[in-house]
Amino acid sequence: MSLKADANLDLSKWSTRLPDAPADGRSDEEKAEMEFGRLTSEKWLSIAKCDPDHPFKAPIADEPPYFVVIMTYLNYLVMILIGHIRDFLGMLFTPQNYKAMLPQNGYPPWYASFESFYPRRLKGRMDDCFARPIHGVPGRYTYCFNRVSPDGNKNFYYDGSSTPCLNLSSYNYLGFAQSVGRCTDDSIDSVRTHGTSAGGPCDVAGHSDLLRSTEKTIAKFVGKDDSLIFSMGYGTNAHLFTSLLNSKCLVISDSLNHSSTRFGIRLSGAAVKVFPHNDMAALESIIRESISQGQTKTHRPWKKILVCVEGLYSMEGEYCNLPAVVALRERYKFYLFIDEAHSIGALGEHGRGVTEYFNIPSSKIDIMMGTLTKSFGAAGGYIAATQDIIDRLRVDFTTNIYGETPPPPVLQQIQTSMRIVAGELNGNEGKERLERIAFNSRYLRLGLKRLGYIVYGNDDSPVIPALLYTPAKMPAASRMFLKYGIAIVIVGYPATALITSRIRFCVSSALTKEDIDRILAVANLIGDKMCLKFGSGMAGGEHHPGDWKKGIRPRWSLEEVLAKTPEDCKKEMY
Amino acid sequence: METEPQKTPQFIQIVASIASRAWYSLITLCGKLPGGEYVINYVRASHKNDPWRTFLEILLALLAIRYFLASRYSQDEKDKVSLTEKEVDELIDDWVPVPIVPKLRKDERWQLDSIPLIHGPASTRVTVEDPHTGKKTSDVLNFTSKDFLCMGTNSKVKEESIKEMRAAGVGACGPPNFYGTQDVHVRVCEDLAKFLGAEEGIIYGQDYCTPTSVLPCFLKRGDIVVVDGGVRLALQKAALISRCDVEWFNHNDLDHLEQILSNLEDDLKDGPLNRRFIVTEGLFENFGDSPDLKRLVEIKNHYKFRLFLDETNSVGTLGPNGRGLPEVYGIPRTEIEITVGSMAQSLGSSGGFCVGCHDMIYHQILSSNAYVFSASLPPYCATAASTSIHLIENAENKDDPSKSNPLIKPLKDNSKLLHRLFNESNSLKDLIFVRSTGYSPVLHMRINSNLRKSLGLPEGYGGPGSFVSKAVKRGHESKYFDVQYNTENYVLQQVINKCLDGKVLITRSKRVLHHELLPVVPELILHSNSKFTEEDIKHAYNVIEKAIIDVLGNLNKERFDRYTNEL
Repeated sequence: MSLKADANLDLSKWSTRLPDAPADGRSDEEKAEMEFGRLTSEKWLSIAKCDPDHPFKAPIADEPPYFVVIMTYLNYLVMILIGHIRDFLGMLFTPQNYKAMLPQNGYPPWYASFESFYPRRLKGRMDDCFARPIHGVPGRYTYCFNRVSPDGNKNFYYDGSSTPCLNLSSYNYLGFAQSVGRCTDDSIDSVRTHGTSAGGPCDVAGHSDLLRSTEKTIAKFVGKDDSLIFSMGYGTNAHLFTSLLNSKCLVISDSLNHSSTRFGIRLSGAAVKVFPHNDMAALESIIRESISQGQTKTHRPWKKILVCVEGLYSMEGEYCNLPAVVALRERYKFYLFIDEAHSIGALGEHGRGVTEYFNIPSSKIDIMMGTLTKSFGAAGGYIAATQDIIDRLRVDFTTNIYGETPPPPVLQQIQTSMRIVAGELNGNEGKERLERIAFNSRYLRLGLKRLGYIVYGNDDSPVIPALLYTPAKMPAASRMFLKYGIAIVIVGYPATALITSRIRFCVSSALTKEDIDRILAVANLIGDKMCLKFGSGMAGGEHHPGDWKKGIRPRWSLEEVLAKTPEDCKKEMY
Repeated sequence: METEPQKTPQFIQIVASIASRAWYSLITLCGKLPGGEYVINYVRASHKNDPWRTFLEILLALLAIRYFLASRYSQDEKDKVSLTEKEVDELIDDWVPVPIVPKLRKDERWQLDSIPLIHGPASTRVTVEDPHTGKKTSDVLNFTSKDFLCMGTNSKVKEESIKEMRAAGVGACGPPNFYGTQDVHVRVCEDLAKFLGAEEGIIYGQDYCTPTSVLPCFLKRGDIVVVDGGVRLALQKAALISRCDVEWFNHNDLDHLEQILSNLEDDLKDGPLNRRFIVTEGLFENFGDSPDLKRLVEIKNHYKFRLFLDETNSVGTLGPNGRGLPEVYGIPRTEIEITVGSMAQSLGSSGGFCVGCHDMIYHQILSSNAYVFSASLPPYCATAASTSIHLIENAENKDDPSKSNPLIKPLKDNSKLLHRLFNESNSLKDLIFVRSTGYSPVLHMRINSNLRKSLGLPEGYGGPGSFVSKAVKRGHESKYFDVQYNTENYVLQQVINKCLDGKVLITRSKRVLHHELLPVVPELILHSNSKFTEEDIKHAYNVIEKAIIDVLGNLNKERFDRYTNEL
């Protein structure tokens, strides 16, 4: 927990050095329960399937009241003004604090002051909410080190203790972050048999048997011929596009695509057009125009057109309108790249991602990319495609040839967890994990909506963004949730639009229904205290009609939410 | 006769009166505004003196309005051909894209088979499986692993890694800024900084992504970077993606560097103080040599450039205690502003790192893409790297740090022996040329330049002005393929295959021509490590020598062409 340092707090026993994890005296059973809660009732399961008649439903988007929008802008204005005044005076009177931004002995500054304005003046004030150090497994609970900062987040002091917090911050969708159980046992065995390192790029140092079998497992899981694995999800996208595209190719990219995809496209030198997030009409008109007009100036036809979308947009909790994109692909013959970083394992009845969710055969997608960090508790990314494409990429993909291969325990973790999800190992365990995340996501989402939060995204998405708007509420929310023992992630500009700062709840199978009850109770309390309940009520199924003329909005009380939502959330009603 | 004055139509009168009233109230309003009176008086006076001027100014104002309202892309709009819906549909029906990736050609398919399939750990001796027959050969001496110090199979490293996995599982499940920072991540940053003698450190999930993410944090448009003309691909791409001005100096030619810097100095004297970097490697991945760091530091200090040093291959291998190139020259790490490196090689783990001063590291926490937008390294990887560092530090001779570390000494001896055997071999001197230096743990061997000349091969493939680079510019994917490059690599692969029959696994440089910005020469590559015995190396030498003589001994133009046709 990070407290504002008390004036009386004696810091002499605290240290600026981050302590080591304290000794763990718990039994394996206790540990297992803290990492992955036992299912309390068969009732708390659900299946993530879309309605076959209306595959894609755009989520109901609530607008914030005007005064909130104005306040948000005002908030930024005040912070920017004060920040600039402080910068100006600071550089004038205490240049020693601004060394990195001022020329030193004829050397240019490390970075310009405007480049670092946001991190210093806005993010710096809530630095205690970011990069909170933890120890142990980021499972159902995560252990945050207690720290205080007496000097405005410049230095942090630790007393060596830590607090277990209910974890809604880790990308641990299926709850595979565990230190006990089949996955970890297998991974530990792989250290014994294969060591800790892969020994270099796989094209040079050789394919290990483990790498080959893991590639096959992934290919089978997503329904493609073959796959390639990389040790970093970001690196997969960042260097993929140079092998696919050149300056005579066009990329049409969703406006909310991840930074790694954008970096990769930039590196490839291809022309880029961006369509507004999930706007299929705009996408179609861009495609029509691009094909008919050809390349700029020369009007020669584009060699290839690649459309890049994500399965589940991690900041919005929305999935892409894949049925519509695939229909366009049939008509316009472009290639389709889909980034399933957040959807693989987390969506679909069998966890096969957004394609399974929308019941679209994987042959309709040219290149399937995904990460192994999120649902499978490992690290890295994969590319799955037809044999021809993978064969080419094997001798052409730079990360494969010049970069490291994932180390053995990571490969083993991928393999074991994926086989559990596919039902090949441990019987019904995979099914239970999938049904638990489906239920947990739907329950928490509907519960928050009914409490009055404005929540973005689709019903089955395990990422649940609850809007805060005013930037000052970001640190406040983070600190308050932490006080109640809940670890959440807050995101604001530049990761989101300027005014839509938000809390991001990342749901996990490891949470029990009772955990979610507790989260809702805390969210109710904090929502009232911090004035966060702006929802119009239409998203959560109105209960009290409210009185619109008097500005009374429809709200559910916590008791009603807890009593009705667990059953309601399973229905296709909202 | 009296004529009645002609009556003006009524509506014109009304319009005129409204207009004049509006004009009057506008003028009065302007006059009421603070300072408005002066403006009106000024305009009146100027109009009185020069009515033409008013006319011109109004025209100018109209032009400005039009300019601001015009679309930014009006040029593109103008370029567009106007088409009817039917024509658009026809064009769409006619459009046939090229395949998403060119299918592997028949004559490059062998490259897929040339990737060895290894069972078990990537240690000194491995079991290799033939991809076609499935036949397994065990006890093969492995010269392909980059785990130079054999840390990946070290029992202490394994034990600590297992302990960490029992405490924290495998994955970190989150980016470092969102609950993805564990105690062990902070520890390994501290350990790296302390080991290398820097203020602070930061770690990345992958070594290849590290430079392409670090360098663009500090270089933007208008900044200058001077890059060695032999750096590895990651650094080439890093310079490219920064969008700054890139100058190349000849590989390891510090005179040329100095000349470029002094030329730049004149140009830069009057300009703004933009950021300037020199980018080079501690031990070149493509050449196996190092720059003269002492002189390099003098030069960069004289011209006030900062140094970006990639120590991917030199940390753990160079210097008495594996602290990299600065330790060799006795230069403090603080002289090197940015150091990047890999934990996936000598440290027997996974991931990349960057060390340097506090301000530089702190800026990366929010600005470095691969740090911000990517999950943390698995915690046990951090533990494994920390353990390797501790092992090296504990083995250091505390009384005399310049004495070779017993953990690293075998590697150095093996590298030297390997280099000596090949470099001084009489039977091979007409066939191959050893490009790397004696201290490099990676042995680079090229086909002897006279032999290459007699085969009619160019000095290097690809690079500026080559037909491959032209094909890349024009997007002709089918022309990325260089027949001679392919065959030369195939010849080297024959050597490798022959070695494997003698139970020695070596590799060759696998560089993709159309990605490389710099010229490439195919090489045979041997990675030495600390666990080989003298007998191992001598045995390997005998096997490789025989294989080279077998394949290259009677290689001539005719035979080379036969290889090409055979593919």
